[in-house]
Amino acid sequence: MIQMFHVYKAYANAPPCLSDVTLQIEKGEFVFVTGPSGAGKTTLLKLIFCAERPTDGQVLVEGRNLSRIKSSAIPFLRRNIGVVFQDFKLLTHRTVAENVAFTLHVLGVSKVECEERVRKMLKRVGLAHKADCLPQRLSGGEQQRVVIARALVNEPTILLADEPTGNLDPELTVEIMDLLCGVNVRGTTVVVATHDASLLARYRKRTIRLDGGFVAFDRNELKERVWMAAG
Amino acid sequence: MRALAKTAYFWKSAVQGVQRTPLIHLLAVITIAIVLLAAGLVRSSVQLLDSLTETIGGDVELTIYLKEGATESDAADVARTLESRTRGSAVVVSPQAALARLRAELRGVGDVLTDLPSNPLPYSVQLRVAPGFRTTDALRSLAAEAKAMPAIQDADYGEEAVARLAAIARAVRYAGLVGFTVIGLATVFIVAATLQLAIYARRDEIEIQKLVGATDRFVKAPFLVEGALQGLVGAALALAALWAFSALVGPRLQLLFAFVLRPGTELSPNPSVAWELLLAGCALGLSGSFVAVGRLLRT
Repeated sequence: MIQMFHVYKAYANAPPCLSDVTLQIEKGEFVFVTGPSGAGKTTLLKLIFCAERPTDGQVLVEGRNLSRIKSSAIPFLRRNIGVVFQDFKLLTHRTVAENVAFTLHVLGVSKVECEERVRKMLKRVGLAHKADCLPQRLSGGEQQRVVIARALVNEPTILLADEPTGNLDPELTVEIMDLLCGVNVRGTTVVVATHDASLLARYRKRTIRLDGGFVAFDRNELKERVWMAAG
Repeated sequence: MRALAKTAYFWKSAVQGVQRTPLIHLLAVITIAIVLLAAGLVRSSVQLLDSLTETIGGDVELTIYLKEGATESDAADVARTLESRTRGSAVVVSPQAALARLRAELRGVGDVLTDLPSNPLPYSVQLRVAPGFRTTDALRSLAAEAKAMPAIQDADYGEEAVARLAAIARAVRYAGLVGFTVIGLATVFIVAATLQLAIYARRDEIEIQKLVGATDRFVKAPFLVEGALQGLVGAALALAALWAFSALVGPRLQLLFAFVLRPGTELSPNPSVAWELLLAGCALGLSGSFVAVGRLLRT
């Protein structure tokens, strides 16, 4: 689903923020990308949804080589990738339902179908009763759930979340992480960038640790346990 | 269905955009309206000058002077030939009638003509030409044709007056065109600058649009609709101002130029001017928003 081969990313007059990154994420996987601030987590996600291009190396998403993709093809790639940010990026003058519908407008979905899909998605994230509220009336956790609903309403195959719980208290963090795990169970590939070690300990998913732009380790504790148990 | 949904979204988004930053849009509308009002006034001035040229051109008669010794029947032959050639009306003026007219025109000093031993004036033919010949070029070629006839000495049609008026109308038309092009370009950049402020106010919306897979065309479309709307409203304002101007000043101008204007000359903007202004407004608004959104997407 997502492949990176010897990927480098450097900005002008700065040391590379990603160096020789090679990894593979399978369809339906749940992956944490972790590491200290400045390790290159956000840059790695940006490469996947084509907000940045690699300086060197190859990035493949669903078989498409993003190092060579035309600018005009990027929007169509992004329609298959949902993105969730720490700072929500919600439109404050639009209601919750309008924020979620925003993705569907881009696809030219009819008004009736749009309303139906938004209603179902808000129900799925537990915000059906807040459809007509403005985002600033919601708690941080609720706002993040709106962002997740917006990212998922067009049923993307990949969901990228950059520090989705960074602004939330522990209780809301669990709420959001459970929601992301639920999304993954339904078959969506989920990649979460986080520096929160407690999340890694709690959820025990595949973890890719970046340090100074390099992959420090790529470990799937659950798989290792299964292998060990198998003998 | 998708195209319909997108079109509806573009219009809704454009209207919401105007509602969110009304002052910025008002500034752009007023700029367009002022430019189009100036263009409309120049256009009306050219129309007025064209009308004057045609009126004066219509009054100019081609006067053909016959050679000395030509008879009344020679003059009548020339008059018939020119009438059939131009579908106009020709009148033969005898030397006596010409002298009497000259005497009347000279007023106080006209009496000196009575002392002349003989009438020096020849027979002449005054030809009032049909509308098709009321241009400088047509009159010039007709005069040349007449001069080539054997019985004719000279032909005169007040060439200078017609040519000068036509030149003034042409100069005003070209000056208007150049002025409109220059001011139009400046307007495009003013509209683009104002729209950029509106776009800046919606940068978060555009960022999210791009994030969820909107194409550049999708991002641009509502702003282009906004630009076109601005242009149309600006043109409508300019038209209203032109109508008000013609209603207030038109009757005075018509009184002032009553002796030279063709009957029924209308000073208020006609439907073709209205369409021209609406199209020009639309083009200005669209161009401004195109420049503004282009800049945005490049950054």
